[in-house]
Amino acid sequence: MRYFILTILIITVIAAGGICGAEDGSELRQIRREIQQIRADEERQRQRDERLIGELEQKVEKLENQNRQLQQSSAQMQTRTTQQLQQINEQLGSSASDFARTFHDYLGTHTFTLTGAVGGDFIYDRQTATNTFALDFEPIILYRVTDWLLFEGTIEANLPAGGGADFSLPVATAQIFLNDYLEVQAGIFDQPFGDWYEDQSPFWVNRFVTAPLPYSVEALIPPTDIGVQLRGGAQWGALGQDIDYTAWVSNGPSFANDIPQPVVGQAINGVNTIKVNTNGQGYGGRLRVYPFPLDSNLGRLELGASTLNGKWLHGNWYNAWGVDFAYLRGPLQARGEFLEMYRQMPTGNADNRQGWYVQVGYFLNQLPLPFAPDPVADFIHRLEPLIRYSGVNQRAIVQDEVSTLPETGFSGSPSIFTPHAREVALGLDYWVAPSIVWQNEVDLELPEAGGSIIAFGGNPTPTVIPRGATPNDVAFLSQLAIGF
Amino acid sequence: MKRVPIAIFLALAVLAATCAAGGAEEIGKAEQRRLFRDGARLWPVYCAQCHNARPGSEFAPYQWDAIMMHMRTQANLPARDARAVLEYLKAGR
Ligand code: HEC
Repeated sequence: MRYFILTILIITVIAAGGICGAEDGSELRQIRREIQQIRADEERQRQRDERLIGELEQKVEKLENQNRQLQQSSAQMQTRTTQQLQQINEQLGSSASDFARTFHDYLGTHTFTLTGAVGGDFIYDRQTATNTFALDFEPIILYRVTDWLLFEGTIEANLPAGGGADFSLPVATAQIFLNDYLEVQAGIFDQPFGDWYEDQSPFWVNRFVTAPLPYSVEALIPPTDIGVQLRGGAQWGALGQDIDYTAWVSNGPSFANDIPQPVVGQAINGVNTIKVNTNGQGYGGRLRVYPFPLDSNLGRLELGASTLNGKWLHGNWYNAWGVDFAYLRGPLQARGEFLEMYRQMPTGNADNRQGWYVQVGYFLNQLPLPFAPDPVADFIHRLEPLIRYSGVNQRAIVQDEVSTLPETGFSGSPSIFTPHAREVALGLDYWVAPSIVWQNEVDLELPEAGGSIIAFGGNPTPTVIPRGATPNDVAFLSQLAIGF
Repeated sequence: MKRVPIAIFLALAVLAATCAAGGAEEIGKAEQRRLFRDGARLWPVYCAQCHNARPGSEFAPYQWDAIMMHMRTQANLPARDARAVLEYLKAGR
């Protein structure tokens, strides 16, 4: 703007000089003075601006410095705080572990842990008009000597019909962990064949009150055995992909000897406590594989195979094999087994039997119930409905061995003592806590015709009659099972 | 044939004598954290396979030491997985 005014003044001066050359010099001088004045003003203005800019630059620099200092001190503060926190943590940690050590010293290195289970039943069976309560108590003592030696003992106190308690010793073992892949277990143990006896039979572990038929009163495999096991497991792939083995030598299978002579279909003994010379050793093996990695979110699948073999009487072999699966994914769980047993008979006949079960359960704890009031939703979320189908095929049943007396976990239904027993079990469990459950079960006994009934009736030789159609039966069992 | 079990027993006795001397090793802090993390992932899956998973709060740490040996036998758990679940159960109480 100033340049514009200056330019106009100069043009005016020139124009005025040109046009009116005759004007006097004082006016010209006046204009020159004004021009100089304006130039001086401009110079002053510029100097002031430069000073101001300089001052502003200094201020910015000062602020930047201050900011840098602040950042530094904040970083210092942070490291100091972390160090102090660490110190406090270490102090706390060491005093906590001091306490733990003192407590451990007080307890001693040998520790006893008491666990186990109790089952109280109500049992109803239509055919036998049974209507009774029953109770069984199975404490487990775990005696830990070191981190590689554990003793386990289970005592079973059962209240049978018409008397005081029956006591038994189903498990008493030493568990010796030799290294990460090999453990020795020696003593009297649950038969490691399949998943049932060892892993599913305790009251609170079994989702049903009763055992599936092949592991019930007409069992194919001895429930308990005495001997030595080698066991171990390893990861073969990603986390969750495992394989495990159990191999054992034991007293092996034996068959009831309270009948005058061995016959097809006679019951297997619960345990061969003392192996007499007529018996050979039992040799067993089990392998389980878990194919799914934990991260695949496909759930946990277990595939297993087992075998048990031994001479049950002189040169006569008993051979059993089975396959099993278990699958668990969230609230869904399913498991099943198929097993076969073959026994050479002194008479040359074969005694072969087979059994199976499949079961499915679905825990309702994740069921969305947006409209149910809280107490109702809580009740429903504790329920687990279940269904199981099981069956046994064998050539005969020995009448003299049948006992339909009910006991904890057994309805006493006569329809189970048939050569072709079939059962559909419907269950409804109410979970009070992870190991406390009220279980309700309806058993539909649906035996098929066929096979024979063998009866001695006090005679040295048996009579054999073909088994015709057998009536169906219904039983109801309700059990409170507590695992502690 | 009769000598087989005796031979197996003797072999086991020798193995026990040689291996059992090992005992516990102190594990480092980092390994302990890794075990805890793996244990937290394994527990809801592995320990719910046969029965409902039992929470760490149910037992004292010294009881878990014994129970995990029992469960390692029961399930033939890989040794490290058993250690991881034990770490999780004891630390997560
Ligand atoms: C292969 C099946 C199986 C698996 C897998 C399993 N358990 Fe068990 N668990 C059992 C059985 C069977 C019992 C009942 C004890 C008995 O009768 O010997 C039991 C009992 C228990 C008990 C009661 C105390 C005791 O020692 O008897 C606790 C606690 C327990 N299990 C925790 C666990 C934990 C934690 C895991 C995960 C590492 C686990 N279980 C994995 C089968 C299993």
